[in-house]
Amino acid sequence: MYKKKETLYGYLFILPWIIGFLGLTLGPLLFSLFGSFTNYNVTSQMDFIGLQNYKELFMYDDLFWTSLYNTMYFVIFSVPLTTIMAILISTLMNQNIRGMRVFRTIYYLPAILSGVGVYLLWMQLLDPSTGLINQFLGLFGIDGPNWLFDPEWSKPSLIIMKLWSAGGSMLLYLAAMQGVSKALYEAAIMDGASRAQMFFRITLPMVSPIIFFDIVTSTIGSFQIFQEAYVMSSNNAGAPENSLLFYNLYMWINAFNLFDMGYAMAMSWILFVIVLILTVINFKFARRWVHYEGE
Amino acid sequence: MKKYLLLIIMSVVLLSACGGFQIGGGSEDSGSTESDSASDDTADSGSESSGNGEKITLDFWTFWGSEQRRPIVDQIIEDFNNSQDEIEVQHTYVPWGDIWTKNLAAIAAGDPPDVIINDINTVKLRAQEGQMEPLTEFVDEEVQGRFYDQMAEATMVDDEMYALPFNTDTQILFYNKDLFEEAGLDPEDPPSTWAEMEEYADALDVQEGDSYETIGFYPLIGPGSDLWMLNALGENFIDEEGNVSIDTEPVHDTFNWILEQKNKYGGNTITSINSQFENAQQDPFMAGNIGMMVQNANYYVQLRDFGQDLNFGVAPMPEKEEGNGHTSWGGGFVAEVPKGAKDPEASYQFIEFLTNHDTQLYWAENNFDLVANQEAAMAAAESEEFSAAGQEVYSLMVENMDDTLLTPQPVIAPDYSSTITPTFESIVSENTSVEAGLEKAQSDLERIVENNR
Amino acid sequence: MYNSNKMKFWRNFNFVLLVVGSLFMIAPLFWMVSIALKSMEEIYRGEFTFIPEDIQFSNFIDIFQAAPFVTYFINTSVITVLVVLANVFVNAFIAYGFAKISFKGRDKLFILVLSTMMLPGFITMIPQYVIFAKLGLVNTYYPLVLPSFFGSAFNIFLLRQFFKSVPNSMIEAARMEGANHFHIFFKIALPMIKPALFTVAIFSFNGVWNDFLGPLLYLNDESLYTLQLGLQVFKEQSSTQWNYLMAGSLLVLLPVILLFFFFQKYFIQGSNILGQTEEK
Repeated sequence: MYKKKETLYGYLFILPWIIGFLGLTLGPLLFSLFGSFTNYNVTSQMDFIGLQNYKELFMYDDLFWTSLYNTMYFVIFSVPLTTIMAILISTLMNQNIRGMRVFRTIYYLPAILSGVGVYLLWMQLLDPSTGLINQFLGLFGIDGPNWLFDPEWSKPSLIIMKLWSAGGSMLLYLAAMQGVSKALYEAAIMDGASRAQMFFRITLPMVSPIIFFDIVTSTIGSFQIFQEAYVMSSNNAGAPENSLLFYNLYMWINAFNLFDMGYAMAMSWILFVIVLILTVINFKFARRWVHYEGE
Repeated sequence: MKKYLLLIIMSVVLLSACGGFQIGGGSEDSGSTESDSASDDTADSGSESSGNGEKITLDFWTFWGSEQRRPIVDQIIEDFNNSQDEIEVQHTYVPWGDIWTKNLAAIAAGDPPDVIINDINTVKLRAQEGQMEPLTEFVDEEVQGRFYDQMAEATMVDDEMYALPFNTDTQILFYNKDLFEEAGLDPEDPPSTWAEMEEYADALDVQEGDSYETIGFYPLIGPGSDLWMLNALGENFIDEEGNVSIDTEPVHDTFNWILEQKNKYGGNTITSINSQFENAQQDPFMAGNIGMMVQNANYYVQLRDFGQDLNFGVAPMPEKEEGNGHTSWGGGFVAEVPKGAKDPEASYQFIEFLTNHDTQLYWAENNFDLVANQEAAMAAAESEEFSAAGQEVYSLMVENMDDTLLTPQPVIAPDYSSTITPTFESIVSENTSVEAGLEKAQSDLERIVENNR
Repeated sequence: MYNSNKMKFWRNFNFVLLVVGSLFMIAPLFWMVSIALKSMEEIYRGEFTFIPEDIQFSNFIDIFQAAPFVTYFINTSVITVLVVLANVFVNAFIAYGFAKISFKGRDKLFILVLSTMMLPGFITMIPQYVIFAKLGLVNTYYPLVLPSFFGSAFNIFLLRQFFKSVPNSMIEAARMEGANHFHIFFKIALPMIKPALFTVAIFSFNGVWNDFLGPLLYLNDESLYTLQLGLQVFKEQSSTQWNYLMAGSLLVLLPVILLFFFFQKYFIQGSNILGQTEEK
């Protein structure tokens, strides 16, 4: 069913990736898989210990489950919320209002303002007494929570921060919305469609490939939340009360504070399997709702 | 397409101006220009870097890159390079914290730096993991005796010495003399027991309606509960054999004492002050909102530079009750040779130079940093370079070393922190009772020790 | 058809919404500017002031004393330009293969591509470092630039999604006429996804410009350092020079902001949903 010539072309096009994969990625990948069955400590030992790391993780390590729970919590709330937020912002941004270029730049700012500096900034914004957010809530007589200092509120704090930077994927949606033919909208208007109808019947289906992309990549990314938690928990290790001990943070502690790299590698492969399964499910479901205009 | 061509041409031009794509080349050349521009007398270092292929070049990684520290480090290196003609040391600044991640990768690849500054409390663990070259064969008695005992001890594993201590710090009590006077307390007579702390705190408190304008004292502003446990116990709650003493009377008393203060002020007041410290910008002590607090003695430098003549005093940490001891806690850094460094003996020569009397005194005077070399520290306490206040603080730091414990990460349970710290947090936030919490922490830690055996 | 009153309402409503949202988005930036203009004394005093009592414009000049930021700027630019160019073209090339050519094993390979995103970077970081060390490429820009010539999963996936909206019928027609895939790629498909290419460019620019771990790991020579490494000199173990850190961060951000502001016209024209006149 596949034409020989097409197959040849196909591999020719993806050749750069294959070279890179074989040369730079596959080795470290297999190394970490093998490492997960050893007591590898980066510098001096790498003895095969079978399934011991995995057994330890599943059966004896409470923190493993804590970190998995924290991460799931974050993924479940942050992925849908940021996706919706991004679509809303993009719809607003996809208009011809005077000064739109300035608005777009402003909404994109949070995505540019990345890295440690921003997390430090947010720690100040979220400061229970002097922070901008609680001062703002105070204007309405609301006694704001202790945010990063309260185990109940620390994860929501990070989710709010993520929402703030949702403008980053605005770029994707805007680029996709450019591709939607104006004739479609014009025809809809002729038929007397309402704005909401046009949004749900035309805009959403037409950008569904990008929504799908956004959901898949942000799910993968959210499972790997690390730096935010590392910087924003006061002891760099998940405080308060381990509520910010995310999966990758716990992995990092094992790898670089305790030098138990084999253990960390086992953790990484467990996460790998979880995320892979979710991604495959995502792809299976995609057939039902993702609409590719070209096919 | 023209635009892209232009970009490519531009980048090629830029490339030729920069050494990032010269394999193996760039390093030496740019290294020497670096040291040229860094040192003051260019003539001297200029003649040095030319035509001496015989010299051993050592890479020295530190996280001291700030405007204040860098010239001091570079001066020390220049002095060393001038003091002999076999070894040439090159300084590379690598950002704080991440420097050790980079080091680990470099060790794994077999191409580490020759000397690096690293954390003293993790030396034992890292030595056991095989990340460092042992130095015992080079260390003579004079060198071994230079350091504070507890620091030298923290670098030893099975009678093998793995690093030379460089600097340390210690926790002391800072108090606001003006607030003392306003409260009718004698500014020259700071409290010395926990009970006195409470008494003084009550006098210092200034309440306004529901909230506090001035907080006399709260133990957890600055340090964590583990410092007070240490202070009460007179030793760490886990020793090198893995004996755990968390579920004990002194620790129970510690948490009850902390909770008592917390309930006096109310949780919200405490969170608000504490968060300001955590977020590390505003400083309530400098702002005059706190009467007394325990802090790292190095905090003096911030008070000196940014405190705008705040009238403060210093004293040793209080003791739980008279005779219990003013036990304090310290950390610090060591100079060490990563595993696989090309010439440990040459590296050692430089490390030895870093810790000798003159270098350490120079460091102490210019950084106001408590150095590991005892005699240099004592000499610094009388240094003319410091103001009267500076001398007072430095003398107290030196004295305080008698009561200062280091807490090397226990090799038997290196991973205890993430398990028990949340329990302590939960006791302080009163989600767990003191009894239940300490019992849990004790058994959790014992289980970890058991597993690791 | 919409009546004009309703239109007006929506337009105003949108505008107000945009302005209110902007305030939230931009507040942290103002906060940064405010800190960047303060003295350390004022920062420590900790009064809540948006406008500094004593404005220190000199902070923006003083920071150049702390590190050779001009050199770092050139270094960062070189790396960024190369990576952005490579990212755009190589990933588009690969993505076309995955989107528009049907061949055996394509979908399984694509999952493999995605799976490279699923292992945290720091697990493979050390073995990858060892590879570059064995190749003698540590302390050069190769480890930072070379990987982008082999594509990255995120960008491949993104461009694949865009290529998929290029009509198959168009490609088949061109094939019938004897055009090969290279021709179709360059002459038909690539021009059609221009907005997406700019998106990738902006994303990668942002990513490389702000990359910290890569340069940290691979560069040993301070004369090769990048801006993000340079900024770290303001942070030490016990104290941070907040004003300098923020001033420096703002200067580092500036090119990214400008780039986005001026380049957006190339990829966002604004569509006509509301029936307004085109912006000139």
